[in-house]
Amino acid sequence: MTDETERPARRNPLQDVAALAQGLRTTLAEVMRPVVTTQYPEEKSPRAERYRGRHYLRRYDNGLERCIGCELCAAACPVGCILVIAAENTEDHRVSPGERYAKVYEINMLRCIFCGYCEEACPVQAIVLGPEYELSDVSRERFIYTKDMLLEPNPAQQEPIVVR
Amino acid sequence: MPEPNGAVPTVTLTIDGHQVTVPRGTLIVEAAKRVRIEIPVFCYHHKMDPVGACRMCLVEISPGPPRPQTACTTPVAEGMVVRTNSPMAVSARADILEYELANHPLDCPVCDKGGECPLQDYTFRHGYPTSRINAPRRHFLKPIPLSERIALDRERCVLCYRCTRYYDEITWDQELTADHRGADSYITSQFGQPLRSIFSGNIIDLCPVGALTSRVWRFEARPWDMAYTGSVCSRCAVGCNVTLWERRNQLVRVTSRQNDEIDEGWICDRGRFEYTEVNRPDRIRVPQVEGREATWDEAMEALLDGIQGAGHRLGISIRRDVTNEELFCLWRLLQGPCRGARVALEGRTSLPAPGEDTLLIRDLDCARAIVVVASDTADDVPIVNLRIKKAVSKLGARLLIVHPDRLDLDRWPEAEHIRNRPGEAAAAVRELAGHPLLQEGPVAILWGDGRGSEDTRELAAAVAELATRVGGRSMPLYRATNERGALAAGLISGVPDDLEGCEAVICYGPPAPGRIPASARFVAVWDLLLRPEHGSPDVVLPALGFAETQGSYTNLEGRVQFLHPVLHPEPPLREGWEVLCELGQRLKVREMDFVGIFQLQRAAARAIPQFAALASPPEPEPQPTPVLYGPARP
Repeated sequence: MTDETERPARRNPLQDVAALAQGLRTTLAEVMRPVVTTQYPEEKSPRAERYRGRHYLRRYDNGLERCIGCELCAAACPVGCILVIAAENTEDHRVSPGERYAKVYEINMLRCIFCGYCEEACPVQAIVLGPEYELSDVSRERFIYTKDMLLEPNPAQQEPIVVR
Repeated sequence: MPEPNGAVPTVTLTIDGHQVTVPRGTLIVEAAKRVRIEIPVFCYHHKMDPVGACRMCLVEISPGPPRPQTACTTPVAEGMVVRTNSPMAVSARADILEYELANHPLDCPVCDKGGECPLQDYTFRHGYPTSRINAPRRHFLKPIPLSERIALDRERCVLCYRCTRYYDEITWDQELTADHRGADSYITSQFGQPLRSIFSGNIIDLCPVGALTSRVWRFEARPWDMAYTGSVCSRCAVGCNVTLWERRNQLVRVTSRQNDEIDEGWICDRGRFEYTEVNRPDRIRVPQVEGREATWDEAMEALLDGIQGAGHRLGISIRRDVTNEELFCLWRLLQGPCRGARVALEGRTSLPAPGEDTLLIRDLDCARAIVVVASDTADDVPIVNLRIKKAVSKLGARLLIVHPDRLDLDRWPEAEHIRNRPGEAAAAVRELAGHPLLQEGPVAILWGDGRGSEDTRELAAAVAELATRVGGRSMPLYRATNERGALAAGLISGVPDDLEGCEAVICYGPPAPGRIPASARFVAVWDLLLRPEHGSPDVVLPALGFAETQGSYTNLEGRVQFLHPVLHPEPPLREGWEVLCELGQRLKVREMDFVGIFQLQRAAARAIPQFAALASPPEPEPQPTPVLYGPARP
């Protein structure tokens, strides 16, 4: 407990003014320097060209899916977040070139660690990690990304995704 | 091939510095396996004659010519020095692999063999790291359906001729052949006809590349997705050993598992392809009472009400792949409250219980003469049929057939076929005693019931008489998977089943024989699926398939083999023995409150002498040591 009768010695008021000036100098110097804050979410910071964000399944220019359902992405995945169930293309129902396509393609985004091994393992460059990183959602079920969500829009119908 | 009696002179040789002593006549590939040295092979298969077609197994042998030689066609010799990793041998194998890959499409990502493919593995272990081939590859239309169940991809084929040799040597069906010559040759079916053999599925396992694949489980799973167990086939009484493969709690495929006592690594197409029932989406999963879903408790009460007081008017139809454990529970019920009930086993013969000293399947290898009576073995017991073919064509046994019709075995040119009139096989067998083909023993007699046309009691007497007179042993060819177990438990006997006249029927599996009797006023069905022949039952209970149930089968030679389920049934599905035990407890049978199947098996082993083997289920098999040795890349 401090003794109330003991008061600190009175200092020179010029010392206070000097301290104030020093603080202001830091403040004023920072005003002059370039701004680093981004106004997220209104403004978004640029991402590296090879940024690994949300996955996409790509298509060929004629609209056929690239994915052949080989499950090599699932085999390469270190956390086991990819499920692929393959099926056979028929003449009436052609999804991808060749014999095989992915009937089911699901990624559990809660598990994914965005390592990019799936992208590396893919023999047809079907799965890519895109620039998008805003993946929050309100329920666990909605983090299971199905094939419909992952497939990029058909280029015959829409503009392709542009990576910034 | 070494003689079975064991007195074979041995030979000592050196393979990569390891001394190994093997019987004379052993091939170098087999000798190398003893010291765990891998010599890669495509065309060589240990159950077929070597041809040396693929040249993959090249090694350096001294003394010998100064060039690589095939290890799969060269027998060992005393003092031989084999080098598998000399620069010459290593580069020879790598060059051969480069040729094998010259036309290979390298579509491994979409190939069902990818992940368990010898060509893939050998390319990694023995091939050059990169390809130098830039030329256009051979192209074919693909996939070509060879039958409803098998697809052929000619681009992937390395022309090892395993499939065509299998069809020639093992099954004698000769349905596959190589068309054209040299680099232009390709595999095709004879005259473009679809494969009809019941043994066609084995070529999928035999194919060392992805050229022959199954259409039944096409693209269902990659090998690394699947869990597997070694189990027993449920389709017939032979009891072939199989491997069951599971993905996402679905039975994805069935492959063979070599057991030289029984199947020698072959299974028939029934066992390989007819497994899909267990995966059906319309499978019964919840008990039903009068068409409405119910709890097990309600269903059991309804069942008990239905069979109340039926006495000898109760009929119990059992499926062919009933386990020994379920048979024991039924035996307890029939000893107690259900005394007098009639029992029918689906798909069975009317053969009586076997005598004391019956033939074993492996004894066919030592037989000098084989007599097949009143059975189309290719249809009744397919894998025994292959054993007969092996004994006849490779081990020099003589073949005598007593059957009214032309059979699969008649393809053997020296087979003697005695055509009896249907129903008179016994008389024909009695005349065989002095037959010239049976002068030299041991004689193996395989006999069936002629699909119901023969009087089995008379035939049994005739066969036993013949066996004593020619000094042979006999084996009755049962058809239903656990028919021998049901005979051991005394549930059925050598007379055909008949449930006609029963008022209450419990039908476990498809109804036997053929349909639910018209006299039935109460029908309880306990099966995987509701089938048309079940009609409209009062109570429906869900049953388990052979890939998900615990238990054991007794095969036609009396061998008890245990099932190892690969699927995990979810409640309310229950094990068959649990349901029967609960039924017994509700009927106030003593000693039916088993805490687990092991306790039940021990009780069954004490109660029924033929089930003694149930008390000692085998230890789980140790994981096989992989056959992989050092880098061999050039």
